[in-house]
Amino acid sequence: MSANLSPLRSNLSVTLASARMRLITISRYPGQLLVEVTIPIVFAAMPILLGRASAGPAAGQVFAANTGTTNYVAYMLIGSCIFTIVSFAFWHMAYWLRWEQESGTLEALYLAPTHRIWAAAGTALYSCTRAVITALVAYFLGCYLLDAAPTGGQVGLALLFLGLGLIPLYGLTLLFGALILKVKEANSLVGLMQWTVSFFMGIFFPVALFPPLLKEIALLFPPTWMVNGVRASLLGTAYFFQAWYLDLAVLWAFLFIAPLFGYWVFSRVEMSVRRNEGMGQF
Amino acid sequence: MKPLEPAERIVNNGWMPGIRFSTFWAMVRKELTVIARYPVEFIASFGRVFLIVAIFTLGGSTFTTTPSGLAAEGGLRGGDQAGLVVYGFILFMFLSDTLWTIGYAIRHEQVQGTLEQLYLSPASKFASLVSRVTNSLIWTGLLCIAGGALMAAMIGRLPVQNPLTGLYLLVMSLAGTFGIGFAFAALTLRIKETAQTLANLLQFVLLVLCANFFPFSALPPFILSISRWIPMAYSVDAFRSALMGFPPGFPELAPFPVEVVIVTVFGLLMPVVGYFLYRRAEASARRAGSLSAY
Repeated sequence: MSANLSPLRSNLSVTLASARMRLITISRYPGQLLVEVTIPIVFAAMPILLGRASAGPAAGQVFAANTGTTNYVAYMLIGSCIFTIVSFAFWHMAYWLRWEQESGTLEALYLAPTHRIWAAAGTALYSCTRAVITALVAYFLGCYLLDAAPTGGQVGLALLFLGLGLIPLYGLTLLFGALILKVKEANSLVGLMQWTVSFFMGIFFPVALFPPLLKEIALLFPPTWMVNGVRASLLGTAYFFQAWYLDLAVLWAFLFIAPLFGYWVFSRVEMSVRRNEGMGQF
Repeated sequence: MKPLEPAERIVNNGWMPGIRFSTFWAMVRKELTVIARYPVEFIASFGRVFLIVAIFTLGGSTFTTTPSGLAAEGGLRGGDQAGLVVYGFILFMFLSDTLWTIGYAIRHEQVQGTLEQLYLSPASKFASLVSRVTNSLIWTGLLCIAGGALMAAMIGRLPVQNPLTGLYLLVMSLAGTFGIGFAFAALTLRIKETAQTLANLLQFVLLVLCANFFPFSALPPFILSISRWIPMAYSVDAFRSALMGFPPGFPELAPFPVEVVIVTVFGLLMPVVGYFLYRRAEASARRAGSLSAY
């Protein structure tokens, strides 16, 4: 029984139970899942159709001069699918926290014998499982519908960039969680944050188009490295440091820095909230 | 039939238009007060518009200009592209806002438990619905002005030909869109929580079918044939064609006079149809006792 489990195993079982509960709940809403797959495709279709109409027959060539690939459909779809992953990360984590606050269970969570980080990890596991499946289905379906080659390069490397990028991304959500604890207006902040990150990661364009200062800010966001790594490995566009292993090394660095920094900020804000108004206040 | 309470009689029979107006104004003021209580939302919504505009503009620019500064040939001219995107964006903003603030807002009232209370008060239900339209006009209008100006600054000078025709088409398009909001509110009363998914789906499907961000000629023939059945597609086409001064190939769906007739009929008929549907859904919910069920 749980009393006989080692602390790590019992904590992991909390994480898995939390993720499984959420996955079972969402499986009750097939319509919602279908819409989620459709949104990245529709979203990517906007610049694709506008580009085709704006550039005329030379769309592919002009696009290649800017980005390094003529496969603009896959380029845009990769952007919109990773946008889905980023959005899910912020929405799910923020709403979990906000929902616990509003339903009055956040304070109770602090009284539970399991550390809250394991419950949060369960939500993160659920969120990234749902996000990655949605993004992959949307990418392949979008490529099929919009008539583009989905895989032209190193698929394994692309998946590695994607997988490694998820951890710092969820680390960033801890920073954001701290903001939710302080400001509380989850809806507005999530909406703003998902677009801010999408803008900086270059959802539909290379960050090389940014002015120097903006470009440097963009490079501080792990999703920028994730989306560029996936594009470079699948479509042959340029890596930031011209070699895949150097870009991957940066993502590795983020993998350690982002969660630790996120957790540090979250803990400090959490402590300040507990000292002042308390976690139950919303 | 149960006789009306005196206060309800006054409001419903329109004996005192002053009371009717003051009720309506109180509802508008309450909605505006609620908005004013959330300054973060106020700032965030402007920020969101700025970012969405910047993302689409930069995305579009990867097709139009090479790093050496050469522009692509054979496509839309800069001004036409700006007009096409900005005017489509304005109509999309209103459509999206209508679905959420008029249509889905009923759901909020249900969840908060205030919808049934609203029906117990003698205040006009129509005024309650229209008060949301007023807010949508003010709020989304401000966002559109800010977003449009920003987009024009990034893409290029905005063509403003035939402003009066454009204004007429905008008014008719908005009236029709608000009618859709009423109809969606009716649907929300029936399908409840599913309305959230449907609103999400609808706004994205209509974004493609009404070609808000690109010309209709970019759509595959099959999708274009569906667009031809949607009045809002004619609104988008006529509105931007008129303001762009009818560049070659515009309007794309039908001759301009035909589009004006379609948009006018849509603007006059849809609010009536939408409100009729809303009253039917509301009566049905009251009979079934499901008004406050969620």
